[in-house]
Amino acid sequence: MAELAIENVTKRFGDTEVLKGVSLTIQDGEFLSLVGPSGCGKSTLLRLIAGLETQTSGSIRLAGQDVQGVRAADRNLSMVFQSYALYPHLSVRDNIAVPLRMRRMTGRQRLPVVGRVMPGARAATRQMAADVTHAAKTLEIDHLLDRKPGQLSGGQRQRVALARAMVRDPAAFLLDEPLSNLDAKLRVQTRVEIAELHRRLGATFVYVTHDQVEAMTMSSRIAVMMGGQILQCAAPDQIYEDPADIQVAEFIGAPKINILPVATAPDLTLTLLGQNLPLRVARATTGLRLGLRPQALHLAGADARLTGIVAHTENLGAELFAQIEVPGLAQRLVMRAEPTQRSSLRLGAPVGIDFDCRAALVFDGAGQRVREVEHLAHLPMVEAL
Amino acid sequence: MTRDWWKHLILTLGALIVIAPFYMMVSYSFKSPGEIDRGEGGFFGRQEMMVDERCVKLRDPNRDDIAAALLRFPNQTDAQIRDALLAEATADCSMRPVVFNYTKAFTEAPLLRYLLNGVIVTASIFFIQVLVAVPAAYALAKLKFWGREAVFSLVLFCLLIPVHAIALPLYIMLAKLGLTNTYAALVVPWTISVFGIFLMRQFFMTVPDDLIDAARMDGMGEFAIVWRVMLPTAIPALLAFAIFSVVAHWNDYFWPRIVVTGNRDLFTPPLGLREFKGDGDGSFFGPMMATATVIVMPLIVAFLLAQKRFIEGITLSGMK
Repeated sequence: MAELAIENVTKRFGDTEVLKGVSLTIQDGEFLSLVGPSGCGKSTLLRLIAGLETQTSGSIRLAGQDVQGVRAADRNLSMVFQSYALYPHLSVRDNIAVPLRMRRMTGRQRLPVVGRVMPGARAATRQMAADVTHAAKTLEIDHLLDRKPGQLSGGQRQRVALARAMVRDPAAFLLDEPLSNLDAKLRVQTRVEIAELHRRLGATFVYVTHDQVEAMTMSSRIAVMMGGQILQCAAPDQIYEDPADIQVAEFIGAPKINILPVATAPDLTLTLLGQNLPLRVARATTGLRLGLRPQALHLAGADARLTGIVAHTENLGAELFAQIEVPGLAQRLVMRAEPTQRSSLRLGAPVGIDFDCRAALVFDGAGQRVREVEHLAHLPMVEAL
Repeated sequence: MTRDWWKHLILTLGALIVIAPFYMMVSYSFKSPGEIDRGEGGFFGRQEMMVDERCVKLRDPNRDDIAAALLRFPNQTDAQIRDALLAEATADCSMRPVVFNYTKAFTEAPLLRYLLNGVIVTASIFFIQVLVAVPAAYALAKLKFWGREAVFSLVLFCLLIPVHAIALPLYIMLAKLGLTNTYAALVVPWTISVFGIFLMRQFFMTVPDDLIDAARMDGMGEFAIVWRVMLPTAIPALLAFAIFSVVAHWNDYFWPRIVVTGNRDLFTPPLGLREFKGDGDGSFFGPMMATATVIVMPLIVAFLLAQKRFIEGITLSGMK
């Protein structure tokens, strides 16, 4: 168990800078997710922590100790790989035992045949067998111990990989998209199991994923990475409700947040498609954008702020998402609706849409969040305009 | 299916052409010299009793033999005794051609010794080749180091050098080191197989990097990764390489003929065939073909035992 401190780490492969100065502190026992689109550098960061790559500059400290130059094997970290990376020629039992054999036994004890009669080998073997069984029981794979990885299903392999990672009590677990090879149903189930495993072990977990749902459901904190940088690192609800960057807002949340271009009126209130909104910013800037989650939108009558035509609907049973073409907007708006409203959301039907301005997020031209937004109780008197 | 008959016809013809010499070899090993000369007797020959003339000549009775046999043939002249002894010798020396050919194969030359040499040489060559090729292939496939591509190009370049082109310099080097007529001369020049390095490297390229990273996380060093992770996963490729290596060196006639000049104890099986090359009194094709059959038999038996894995190996290497 240890705190993990990453300071100003950069990494280049040839001419491309994959990590551009990443700083991050991971508390002992925390479940931190690194989430971002593919190619954002999240896996590279994990491999740097693991010691499988060396950073170009910056430092990584494990429990206060700089691990520069320390071999991956000596960092006492466990890693679970996307492809599980089980040894195909070893049984499940031997797969789980490998990290123990490499650590607890001397080179002479590991020799085939003669190793068994070396002093201390028998005691070590017995202790290892007990530990392997314990880890297998924890993950409910004790009935599979004699099989080869090739005879297991994806979910079972996943558990074997987890068992191999936890059997030696590491300082931290590094998980590199461990669920992406599982089918949707199994993924949901394993998600819960990994979160429970984290609670039970109380160990530090660093979890890399491109799936924002996994990050949202499992983590104590999420670090959203894009283009080799951490854009925001905070608790899941904060990331969702209070994103610091438009890219974070767009990445987290499904369906995607609606982004609408807004302009500033002379009195610094915002206008959307020529209509004034009860929002006032502190400074006039160009390229302001409004972010509205699908659930912030709702159906309204003819006097609604926006009117459009239903272009597509997706019924998920408990809720319904409607894509609406609004004249003047480049992109369709996505709105969450109750299934009971299906009748008014027929394809091609004209609808009026309104939204709660308190739920609106304002971003500036560079994509940064504009926090100095004043919510006005009443619309300014614009009828005069 | 029926529309493909011509494909099958061509394949069958090809198979017949390939099998023909093999058929002759096995057939000759069954036949008597007369049948071989006259080209008769079908596949097995008639298997009539035949007399081994050399055996009879060796037992040609001299004076002492006749004197010793006096007791057995009382009241007979020397000439009569001589005829009786000759008839006995002829009876003892007559046998079925197949028995004649195969006993000759094992008695005329120390064929078992040659087979043992063959095993020693091919096994040592293969063992050392693996010892060299697997770590080299691992480095070329999975480790990043300066000049890796250049080294790999050199490996590919070496594939282009024919053995016969460098045979003479190799021989001179071995001779200067005083190594001709030793097992070392038969083994050492083959221990670094660029083909093996190339084949294993291509296979290792397909092993996922995650597996190696997992091994590193589990605490293995690079050598442990090579022998404990890469080698066991590469068994199919290793089998493919084993076929090429063992077949090539078991059947090799050229190199042993060059470096083993005097010492018959070092002869490999193909050199054993020379024993039946007749000088003055014609060639012994029957025993010679029997020897050839005995030589190829271990390979055929091994192939039949491991047929499925062998074919997997060959398709994997994309060769053949």
